[in-house]
Amino acid sequence: MTAALETRDLSVRFGGLKAVDGISVTVEDGRVLGVIGPNGAGKSTFINLITGQIRPTRGKVLVGGRDLTGAKPWKIAAARVARTFQINKPFRGLSVRDNVAIGAMFGAPGGGSVAKARGVADEVLERLGLSGVAELGPTELSVAHAQRLEVAKALALRPRVLFLDEAMAGLRPAEMEPQLELIRELRREGLAIVVVEHVMRAIRSVCDTVLVMQEGRELLTGPPDEVLADERVITAYLGQRYAERQRAERAEAGGSGPAVADQVGPRPEGETRAPG
Amino acid sequence: MAATSARPGMPESESESAHPELGAPTTGPPKAAPAGRTTASQLAGWALVLGLLVICLLAPKLFIPSFPRTLSAVFMFATLAQAWNIIGGFTGYPSFGNVVFFGLGGYTIAVLMARSHWSFWPALVVAVVLGAAYAMLIGIPTLRLKGHYFAIATLGVAEGTREIVLNVPKVTGGGAGITVPAVGPSATTSYPGNTGFLYYFLALLVVAMLAVYAIARSRFGFALRAINQDEDAAAAAGINTTRMKIAAFMVSGAITAAAGSIYAFQQVSIYPDRLFSVDITVLMVIMAVIGGSGTVIGPLVGGVGLQFLSEYLRQNFTDYHTFIFGAIIIVAVVLLPEGAVRFASETVRQRRLPIMDNLRRYRL
Amino acid sequence: MTPFLQATVYGLLQGGLLALIAVGFSLVWGVMNVVNLAHGALAITGAYFSWQLHESLGLDPVLSLVVVLPVMFMVGYVIQRGLINLVVNAPIWMTLLLTFGLEALIVNGLLLAFTGDFRSTRTGYSTNTLALGGVRIPYARLIAFGLSLLLTVALVLFIRNTKMGLAIRATGMDRTAARLMGMNVRHVYAVTFGTATALAAAAGSMIGLVGTFTPVVAGGYTLQSFVIAVLGGLGNMWGALAGGLVLGLATAWGALYLSGTLVNAIAFGILVLVLIVRPSGLLGKPYYEARAEA
Repeated sequence: MTAALETRDLSVRFGGLKAVDGISVTVEDGRVLGVIGPNGAGKSTFINLITGQIRPTRGKVLVGGRDLTGAKPWKIAAARVARTFQINKPFRGLSVRDNVAIGAMFGAPGGGSVAKARGVADEVLERLGLSGVAELGPTELSVAHAQRLEVAKALALRPRVLFLDEAMAGLRPAEMEPQLELIRELRREGLAIVVVEHVMRAIRSVCDTVLVMQEGRELLTGPPDEVLADERVITAYLGQRYAERQRAERAEAGGSGPAVADQVGPRPEGETRAPG
Repeated sequence: MAATSARPGMPESESESAHPELGAPTTGPPKAAPAGRTTASQLAGWALVLGLLVICLLAPKLFIPSFPRTLSAVFMFATLAQAWNIIGGFTGYPSFGNVVFFGLGGYTIAVLMARSHWSFWPALVVAVVLGAAYAMLIGIPTLRLKGHYFAIATLGVAEGTREIVLNVPKVTGGGAGITVPAVGPSATTSYPGNTGFLYYFLALLVVAMLAVYAIARSRFGFALRAINQDEDAAAAAGINTTRMKIAAFMVSGAITAAAGSIYAFQQVSIYPDRLFSVDITVLMVIMAVIGGSGTVIGPLVGGVGLQFLSEYLRQNFTDYHTFIFGAIIIVAVVLLPEGAVRFASETVRQRRLPIMDNLRRYRL
Repeated sequence: MTPFLQATVYGLLQGGLLALIAVGFSLVWGVMNVVNLAHGALAITGAYFSWQLHESLGLDPVLSLVVVLPVMFMVGYVIQRGLINLVVNAPIWMTLLLTFGLEALIVNGLLLAFTGDFRSTRTGYSTNTLALGGVRIPYARLIAFGLSLLLTVALVLFIRNTKMGLAIRATGMDRTAARLMGMNVRHVYAVTFGTATALAAAAGSMIGLVGTFTPVVAGGYTLQSFVIAVLGGLGNMWGALAGGLVLGLATAWGALYLSGTLVNAIAFGILVLVLIVRPSGLLGKPYYEARAEA
């Protein structure tokens, strides 16, 4: 069966800088791939290469088996690949409803008239609990609502592949759970989802596989628990010294000490940071 | 930009049009008006249209002798402003070279009628098609640029085109100009006269207004506004931004070319400097912006208001009129950066005059 | 060979003068993202200023710079602080329209005060020329060129080596950050604009020295400043100098081999080409788009 999304040796250079170097991943329908890495690792660039904002200098992008390497963003959208942006990009002069309707008008298969698209938008807003703010302007929304609007805009395209670029950013732990539940729902519905995150709890709770990037290259790929406990990953995020200390502590405690997940990102309510 | 003397309405669309921002204001854009008709903006819209009608009715008292010609100019500029509005206001690409379509249209008419003895109407069709085609031609490279760069590139194209027209005298008559055969045996179409041209320009204005009204409510209009407000997000949402931008430019060019065609016929003798004058471009931009770019009736208000103002100043302050006009532009830009229409609807909505709001929003 | 040489020399000399007009325009655009359509008008104001000083006090245009530079600096400062600062945060065309209105105001003001007659600041040495290897160089042009170079270099030194120059560069890169660092951005912007105005006015004085002027030519100089600024890269001082020389040469050679009017078409052709192929200009850094603004 052809994977929903596949990249082969995907790379881009800017002058002498290899921002993304040889990333190959496969995401099947109904699976969630997490992408983590320290700042500057190239995570967002990686997404931009797939969704057409940047042209790759090497490698391939295949969506459902079709070669869409370097295709323009609207062609990618037509192939039912949708994304959110790390820094939210709402249409400031349009209402929340119309923001979502745009995707339904132009990106969803079959397109639609303005009225029909607004109908689809209302459905999506309903699902995301945004019906109450449908008439407001995007700048009047709370952070949580703004993040959800960003996701709603992407869902309006009825995508097969969904990219969520730091969709948890700025959310309080209590606000995160509905977002995570949404991802699980979408996963059950068969979407192939790629989640770029810094919030390890999110990675842990919804991802099937995690790709760790560092300086544009793949550092490690594997199940979340393995990856997050791996020393190389800890080093990449927190530095050499911390990794060594971790190793020492874990050896003392018999191999069950805290992993990266507990050190990075907002804490779930009630937990305190482990000593060290 | 030279000191040559400047020659100097319909309810809002269903959903408030975009704030055509190319630079983000620090205090945030004005609140998006709720989608769907609101009494406030409807009221404001009708009030303005009524105001315009009143001016049109009073106008004969203000300038009796050359009234039809004045009104023709008013309608023509309102049309130009509306055409500009499509690419500059809705799409957010401020063309500073739209006069190139005006000149192209005018010269097409002149050349076809004078050299090839066509009559006006078929020549008009050709002019409109050429206007659209030229828009596509220059749009493909220039619409890749943003903001200032696009403005200057289009300005450069307009100036360059004028130079080309100037340098092919065999076809265009070069600097000496070209004359449309309007009377006598070689006239192919009878000259409509001042009243006739008034109706031609009015008809074109109606066409332009309908076009903008239709665009504002349509999918196309949504696409343009999305491109204006966030081009990356628009592309990611499935909008073929390249095609949409070029299409907008083509519509704008076609309407502008039509205006130029009628103008050339009216003037009978035309020259490159006049038909490709930068002043015309700047005037249409000012009218659209001060009226309210990105709205449906804004350019109408701006065009009518500013053109009448310009005429009034010219007739009553002959020596100083451009000076005063310049001062008025400065004041209008500072106090009404969103344009008159949005100012009016904000006033109605907030029940007070939001003059200081604009200043606070945009000043350093 | 001699006509070519003559044209080349003339082109370079004129280019230097054009560079002086353009350098301020480029600075303002690069630092503040303001395209000042009234720039040429301010230059011509300088021309009239020097002319009037010459008429009333017999002051040599070169000496008049002592008065023209500071006075026009203050004029520019006030215009920026009091007027343009009001719309700096607005969409781009606001400043375009504002400066257009300003241009109309200034040009018509000058027309009212001085009429449209062509003027020129005649001095004792105006008509003297230097003959060098078959080429005639008017002294006035040489002086104008020398002064233009001098002032451009002075500007570069100012921008690179003084605290205010650093403030200007910093504010140009990131206005918000500059504010957070304690810089008074309103003042910095006003100083930038004032400097640009002063230099433009100085160039205007030189224009009066080497040729004729009238308020109507202001627009042409603004347009040429556009081309030079884009050619040289926004905010790039040496770029403006290079761009000025290039445009001067292109115009001079063009006038030699092509009909006079086609020359402008070439200038615009260059402009559009540069914009499409390399919008950062010949000397500008690539990816100049990274303007971090509020």
